[in-house]
Amino acid sequence: MSALQMATAGIALAGAAVFAAGVISILVAVQRRPYSPELAPVKGSPARGVLWAFTLGMLPLAKESARIHWVAYLRGIVFHIGIFVGAAYLVATPWLAQIPEPLRLWLAALFAVGAILGLAGFGIRLAEPTMRLLSTPDDYFALALTTLFMASAAISAYATDYLPAFWAISGITMAYAPFGKLRHFIYFFYVRIFLGLVFGRRAVLE
Amino acid sequence: MTTTTISEKDKMTLAREMLGKLVDRRVLAALEVCVRCGICTESCHYYRSNPKTEHTPYYRAEQVRRVYRQFMDPVGRAFPRWFGAKPTADETLSKLAETAFATCTLCHRCTFECPFGVETAEIMRVMRSVATATGYGPEMLIEIAGAAIAKEENADLFRDIFLDQVKELEKEVQDALGSSKARIPVEQKGARLLYVPLAGAHTIVPQAIIFNAAKESWTLSMFDTANYAVFLGDAARSKRIAQRIIKEAETLKVKEMIITECGHGYTAMRWEVPKWFGKPLSFGLRNIIEVLDEYIRDGVIHVNPTTNGEPVTYHDSCNLGRKGGLLEEPRRVIRAVVGDFREMTPNRLHSYCCGAGSGLVATPEWTDIRLEAGKLKAEQIRQTGARIVVTSCDNCRHQCGELSEHYNLGTTVTSISELTAKALV
Repeated sequence: MSALQMATAGIALAGAAVFAAGVISILVAVQRRPYSPELAPVKGSPARGVLWAFTLGMLPLAKESARIHWVAYLRGIVFHIGIFVGAAYLVATPWLAQIPEPLRLWLAALFAVGAILGLAGFGIRLAEPTMRLLSTPDDYFALALTTLFMASAAISAYATDYLPAFWAISGITMAYAPFGKLRHFIYFFYVRIFLGLVFGRRAVLE
Repeated sequence: MTTTTISEKDKMTLAREMLGKLVDRRVLAALEVCVRCGICTESCHYYRSNPKTEHTPYYRAEQVRRVYRQFMDPVGRAFPRWFGAKPTADETLSKLAETAFATCTLCHRCTFECPFGVETAEIMRVMRSVATATGYGPEMLIEIAGAAIAKEENADLFRDIFLDQVKELEKEVQDALGSSKARIPVEQKGARLLYVPLAGAHTIVPQAIIFNAAKESWTLSMFDTANYAVFLGDAARSKRIAQRIIKEAETLKVKEMIITECGHGYTAMRWEVPKWFGKPLSFGLRNIIEVLDEYIRDGVIHVNPTTNGEPVTYHDSCNLGRKGGLLEEPRRVIRAVVGDFREMTPNRLHSYCCGAGSGLVATPEWTDIRLEAGKLKAEQIRQTGARIVVTSCDNCRHQCGELSEHYNLGTTVTSISELTAKALV
């Protein structure tokens, strides 16, 4: 391992440590907030509600909004798939040499599409007046980090010499995630679970 | 809006304390998960009727979120400009109160259109609580909530007047059924059902006709189911108003409480009250529509749909349907008692709010806003070609009536109970 690889691997590991500590502290903070469980007798099924919230309730076809904003919706889905696959790819990078080249090239293509969609995110955010008005520096910085994350993933999957760049950017992204907008991924699970529990119990989602 | 004499500093302290108390896990998740993608924009009836930034769900929620970042989020406090935390002053609270009370009916439609499921209505509910506590609650809602409490405090004073009125209504029931034995029982110990109406004969007479036709063991509540403190987000007063009916049901030892066709009254009693008191109710609780559905299904009453021959459409009350889970029961009853039933599009979970929800109908200063927000509902009604709009919420009923006049729909508005009573054979 070269000195550059050692240094950037160190950045990635440090970022991962901050990320883990940050996620744990968020989870602790959430659990410390009050929680009022539903106490009325069930009419529907909370379990089926939670299942719905993570399956049928997420399908674009179930939402009028997804039909109206299908470009933004599709962009969001592919962008997030790119990020999740990118995270898995990051974990696998120490064994990058063992990943078959065709698979690496497919991954590079996916990440490149993700990066392009990240750039498109700037266009959408700047073009729509309400979004522009409500966007904070954190919004743009988080988008820039994730776009760079996928761009560097794409380049490193295509040409493994650039792996240090991907590690460095990954480290910075992970270190920032618990503090800004990127932490929404933790709350996503809470929101969907509450949605399923509350409205499933009330038989709204039958 | 009312403003009390609390100093600005005290208001900020109070607002901070209220947020600290009311931002529970569910609200915290709703505050934190939004990425301001704007996909929810057209899901709001306010925006569809008047497309402007202030009418988008994410704009509204973001205004509260910025206060939350200032008061409760350590990162937001440390870097306010970076994360959009907003210094909060008296003026901010006043504006937020107007946003929460006048431009959001807490209908929850945007939640189901959001890719994440952000509960903007829950954020607005918390904002209403903060606004009420800091003296920015709408005066009319405060007065109505206060009147409900005063009625309990002076129950003996109201009792005789109420019983006289019930006697008059009993005659109407006897005439309708052609039977002098028909009764509207009040304070009947050991009755199976305690029926809780609203103020107004239309929530007593048709139901009494049906209960008598079904030979039901029932008794009429001395109180009504409306709980306007719920709209204020005022937990203490909400509990007091609900407590009146709970006490009555427990004293009369009824098996079940039946709530009339009232969206917020039903949803509050059925789903929220157990949380307020930290325990389930000691008796069953259903809506009158569920009882009608059961009567028709079990052949307890018999109905003739040709009696209601005109085209009818159904408006889903957000409280009863999307928030209360009564989506199919009303439709089964309507199909049984009506000859020509026409659905609005979209309906059920995706139904549009009529614009009157969460207290707007009772607040005269927002009449124009309410009627404008109802434009989409008016269009939906017009497209069905129905002559009668049926709805199972009194606030929706009032609004649909006004929408008919305002947008020249030429429709009349009625309830499921009234249609059912008319269809009895």
